[in-house]
Amino acid sequence: MRRGSELPSRTHGLLHLGALLAAVAVALSFPSMAPSPYEITVGIAILNYAVLSTSWNFVGGFTGYISLGHGAFAGLGAYGTGLLTAKAELPPFVALFVAAALVAVLAVPVGYAALRVRGASFVIVSIALVLIMLLVFQSWASLTGGSRGLVVPRPFPGMLRAEHHRTFYFLFLALLATALLSWWVIDRSRFGMGLKAIREDEDKAQSLGTPTYTYKLVVFVVSAAFTALAGGLYALWFGDLDPVFQFSILSGAYMVLMALLGGVRHLYGPLLGAVAVGYALEYAKVEYGDTPLHLVVAGLLLFVVVMFMPDGVIPAAGALLARFRRTGETSIREVTAAELRGRREQDDGTEVRGSERTTRGA
Amino acid sequence: MTRTHRLQARIALSTLSLMLTTSACVSGSGSQDSSDDPIVIGVSLPLTGDFSEPGKGVERGYKAWAKIVNDKGGLLGRKVELKILDDQSNADRVVSDYEQLIGRDEVDLVFGPFSTRLVVPSARVVEEYGMLFVEPAGAAPEVFTQGFENLFYAAPAVADDHYNHLAEYILAMPESERPKTVAYAAMDDPFAQGTAYGLKERLQKAGIRTVTDEVYPPNTTDFGNIAAKIADSKADMVVGGTQYQDGVNLIVALQQLDYQPKMAAFSTAPTEPEFAKAIGNKTEGILAPTGYTQKADYPSNKEFVEKYTKQYGKAPEEDEANAYTTGQVVAAAVEAAECASQDPDCQDKLVKWLRGNTVDTVVGPLKWDDKGRPQSAHMIQQWVDGEIQIVLPDAQKEADLVYPKPKW
Amino acid sequence: MPSLSLVFQSVVLGVLLGGLYALLAAGLTLYFGVMRVVMIAHSAFLILAAYLAWYAHRETGIDPLLTLVVTVPLFFAAGVAIQRLLLTRLRPATLTMMSVLLTFSVALVIEGLLGYAFSGTQRRIRLGYSSASIEFFGARVAVVKLIAFGMAALALLGLYVLMKHSRFGQALRATIQHREAAQLLGIDTDRIAGYGFGLGLATAAVGGTALSLDTTIYPSLHWHWIGPLMAIIVVGGLGSVPGAAIAAMTLGMLQSLLQLELSTTWAQTVFYVALFATLAVRPQGFFGGRLAQRF
Repeated sequence: MRRGSELPSRTHGLLHLGALLAAVAVALSFPSMAPSPYEITVGIAILNYAVLSTSWNFVGGFTGYISLGHGAFAGLGAYGTGLLTAKAELPPFVALFVAAALVAVLAVPVGYAALRVRGASFVIVSIALVLIMLLVFQSWASLTGGSRGLVVPRPFPGMLRAEHHRTFYFLFLALLATALLSWWVIDRSRFGMGLKAIREDEDKAQSLGTPTYTYKLVVFVVSAAFTALAGGLYALWFGDLDPVFQFSILSGAYMVLMALLGGVRHLYGPLLGAVAVGYALEYAKVEYGDTPLHLVVAGLLLFVVVMFMPDGVIPAAGALLARFRRTGETSIREVTAAELRGRREQDDGTEVRGSERTTRGA
Repeated sequence: MTRTHRLQARIALSTLSLMLTTSACVSGSGSQDSSDDPIVIGVSLPLTGDFSEPGKGVERGYKAWAKIVNDKGGLLGRKVELKILDDQSNADRVVSDYEQLIGRDEVDLVFGPFSTRLVVPSARVVEEYGMLFVEPAGAAPEVFTQGFENLFYAAPAVADDHYNHLAEYILAMPESERPKTVAYAAMDDPFAQGTAYGLKERLQKAGIRTVTDEVYPPNTTDFGNIAAKIADSKADMVVGGTQYQDGVNLIVALQQLDYQPKMAAFSTAPTEPEFAKAIGNKTEGILAPTGYTQKADYPSNKEFVEKYTKQYGKAPEEDEANAYTTGQVVAAAVEAAECASQDPDCQDKLVKWLRGNTVDTVVGPLKWDDKGRPQSAHMIQQWVDGEIQIVLPDAQKEADLVYPKPKW
Repeated sequence: MPSLSLVFQSVVLGVLLGGLYALLAAGLTLYFGVMRVVMIAHSAFLILAAYLAWYAHRETGIDPLLTLVVTVPLFFAAGVAIQRLLLTRLRPATLTMMSVLLTFSVALVIEGLLGYAFSGTQRRIRLGYSSASIEFFGARVAVVKLIAFGMAALALLGLYVLMKHSRFGQALRATIQHREAAQLLGIDTDRIAGYGFGLGLATAAVGGTALSLDTTIYPSLHWHWIGPLMAIIVVGGLGSVPGAAIAAMTLGMLQSLLQLELSTTWAQTVFYVALFATLAVRPQGFFGGRLAQRF
C-alpha cells in the first residue's frame, strides 16, 4: 500500500484518535440519550449487525472468500448458549463462551471441507451449512424444541426490561470493540499479510511458501467463533429462538451486504455498513410498516454494490474525495493484482472482456 | 498514519454520529391522558407470512370491535383507536413490535397477536412492562406454564381440550363399532400438535391403538410421503393437527391415494371459509373442533354477527370471533377498573379484576384459572350435506354426527 | 418394517420427484458450465414461474400448462439478458464470488416482489383433477404428479437431443469444455454462453409450472430448492449435465425411501450429507471431468 504524505503522519494520528474517541463517546452516551427503551433495542440490533459483519469480515475481508453461511454460526452460537443455559444449567455467560468454543471446534471440519475447494464450491458449502442446520434444529425437536422454539432463561432475572436493554447494549459494544481490535491486530500481523496474499493471488501466495490452507482454516475458525459469540449474546438478550430465524440465509446475506457496502478491506467498513443498513431497515419499518419490499431494497442494494462499487463505500468515497483534491487515484487506493493486470493490458491495447477470463481457471 | 485511514475514520465518525442522533429523534410524542384523547390499543399481527390468513381474520375482528365500541360512544367516554403492526409471522418482529408499541408509541393497552408461537415471546415483553395481556390465539399448554401473571386467553378452551366432546362420543360407542386404529399427523406447532395430542392421549388411554404418528415442520409443502404412510397403515381414523394450508394439502394427498378412513378430524382448516373450494368440495364427513358458532344466542353475539356482516359483507368466523372476544374482555376490565393507561396501578387493577370475575362474550361467559386458562369447552363440527354443522355436544347440535364417514 | 407396497409407493414417488430435480439441476449445471457461475436465483425463477402459472389460472381459469407458451420464451430471454448485461460486466478476477452475490440479489428481489404482489400466504392451484389418481402395479400415482414428471422428462429429453444432435449443441458443449479452444474454432463463445444461460433459465420455467400443479407455493420457498439442487450439481460434478441428472435421480429416490423410516425433515438432510461426503472424498464430484477439478 502506498501512503500519501501531505501532512506529518503525527497530525493524522491525532485526527484519527480524536475521531475514534468521539465515536466511542457517542456510542457510550447513546443509551442515556435514548428517549425510550425502544431506541435502545434498535441500537442493540445495529450493534449486533455490526459485530456479525465484522466477524464475517475476518474471512471475507482478509481472504476474499465470500461466505453466505455465517448465519449458521450465529444460529449455532445462539442455540448453543441457549441449550447450555436451559438444559445443562451452566451460568449464562459461561454458556456463551463454551458455545462459542464448541462452534469453533465444529468450524474446523466445515472449513476443512469448504476450503479444500476454491470459489464456487466454497459458496455452495456455506449455503448448505445454513440449510442443513435449519433441518437439524427443526427435526431434533426433543433437544432443540423444534419449530416450537427454545426459550432461553433470563441472564439477569428480576431486572427491569429497560435496564436489561441498557446492559446488553454495553455488552454488545464491548464485543464489537473486541472484534474490531482483533481484526486490527491480524491486519497488521504477518499472518494478516499472508491472508491478504491469498486474496490477491492464491496460487502465487502458495508458491511463495505461504501455508495458504492452514491460514485460511485458522481465520475461518476465528471468524466462526466471533460470529457465534454475537449469536449467543443475542440469544441471552432476546430470549426466544426459532430455527427458521436463527438459521436464515438472509441473515448471512445481510452480513455480506453490510461488509461489502462499507468496504471489506477496511477495519470500519462492516461497522459502517451495519449502521447504514441496520438503521435503514429499522427506519423503513417504523415509517412504512413491514412489507416484503425490504427484501427488494436489500436485493437492489446488494446489486448496486456488486455491480458498481465492489470495494465498498469507503474506497469509493475516498477515491471521490481524492479526485476532488486532484491527487492521483492510485496514491490512496489499494490496487489488486487483477486490476493492475487489467490496466496494463488495456494500456497494451488488448481488450479484456469479462466473460473471457475465469476466476482462477486461466 | 495513512490517508486512507484518516478518511475512513472521518467518514465513519460523521456517519455514526449522524445515524445515532437521527435515530434518537425518530421517537413518538408522549401522549397525555385526558378525556378527549382516544384510548390507543397496540396490536401486532401476522398480516404477511405463514399465519397471514388467520392473522387477517383477527385483524377484522379487532377492527369490528373498535367500530362497534366507537359507534356506541367509546370506552369511558373516550374513542378507541387501534395501532396495528405487521410482524410477518416472525417471532423477532413480534417482540420488537410490542417493544415499539409500548416504549415508543406509548399505547394505553395492548391486545395479543396470533398463533402460540408468537404469543409466548410477546407475552414476555408485555409482562415485563407490567401490562395486561389478553390474547386471542395462544391455546397451547406451554403458554400457561411460563409463569405469566398478566395473561388471559380469550376463547372457550385450551388446545388440548378441543376434542373433548369427540373423545367422549367415541368412547361411548359400542366397542365393536369404535375406530380401533388411529393415524396422527401434526404440524410441529404448539397449537396444532396440542389439539391432536389431546385427543391421542384420551383415545390411547381407552386402548385405541396409534398406528402412525407423523410430525412435519410448518414449511412442508409436499405431503405425498406422509400421506403414503397414513394410507398404508389403513387406520380406521385419521387425526390432523393442522393449521390451514397444510390441512388442505394433507387431505388432498390422502385423497390422491384413495385412502378412506371411517372418521377424519382436522383442526382449523375445515372451519375456514375457503376450505371446501380448496379441496374440490370433497368435504363430506370431515370433523373439526370450533370454539365459535355464529348461531349462538348470547346477546352480544347477535349484535356482533349483525354488525360484522354489515361491515364486511359476510358472517364472522372463529378467528374474528376470538379477536372480538379479546376486545370484549379488555373492555369489561377497563369499565370495571375505570382506567386505561400504562400506569402500573391501572394495569394492576385490570388484571386483578379479570382474575376474579366472569365476562360475557360472543363465545359465552368466560372465566379463567390462576394461569389464565379459560374454563369452557369446544364444540365439534362436521361437514354434512355440503355444509359445516355442529354435531357435538348434543345441547348445541344442528345435525347428527355421521359415522362411518362417507367416501371423499 | 414398512410393508412392500409402501416401499414400492415410495420408489414411485422418488422417481417422480427425482425427475423434477434432474431437470432443474441440469439447468443449474448448465450455467456453471458456460460461465463458471453458481446461479442462486435459479430456484427463485422456478417459484416465479409457478406463481405466474398460479396467477394465470386464478385470473383466467386457463390450464397452468398453457402458461409455458409465455414463460419459456420469456425466461430464455431473461437468461440471455442476465448473462449479457450483468455477468459479463463483473471483474473477471472475482467473477465466481461476485456472480453468486449478484444472482443472490436477483433472488432477493424476486422473492420480495412476489411477497409484495401476492403476500406471503401459501398458494395452491385448484384443478379439477387435483385429487385424481391412477393405479400403477398396486401403487397410487396422482395424475398431477405424473403430468409434472412427464413435463420434466420431455424437457430433459429435449435438452439432451439439442446438446447432442445440433450444431448449437456442439458449440455449447465445446464452450463448456474449453472456451479458448472453442474460440479458435470460430465459435462465438459469448453468444453461445448467453444462449446457454437462457436455456438454463428455460428449465426453471418448465420446472416451476410442473411444481405449481401439485404443491403449495410461497415466496420464500426457493431456499428449500436451491440447497438440494446445489448439492446435486456438486455430487454430479460441476458442469456435467448427465452427472447432474444421475445424481438427482439417485438422491431424489434416497430421500423418498428415507422418509419411510425418518421424518420428512431428516430425510432431506441426505442431500447435504452427500454434499459434504463428496467434497471430503471426491471434491470434483462423481461424474465431473477435468472441468470440475479446479472448482
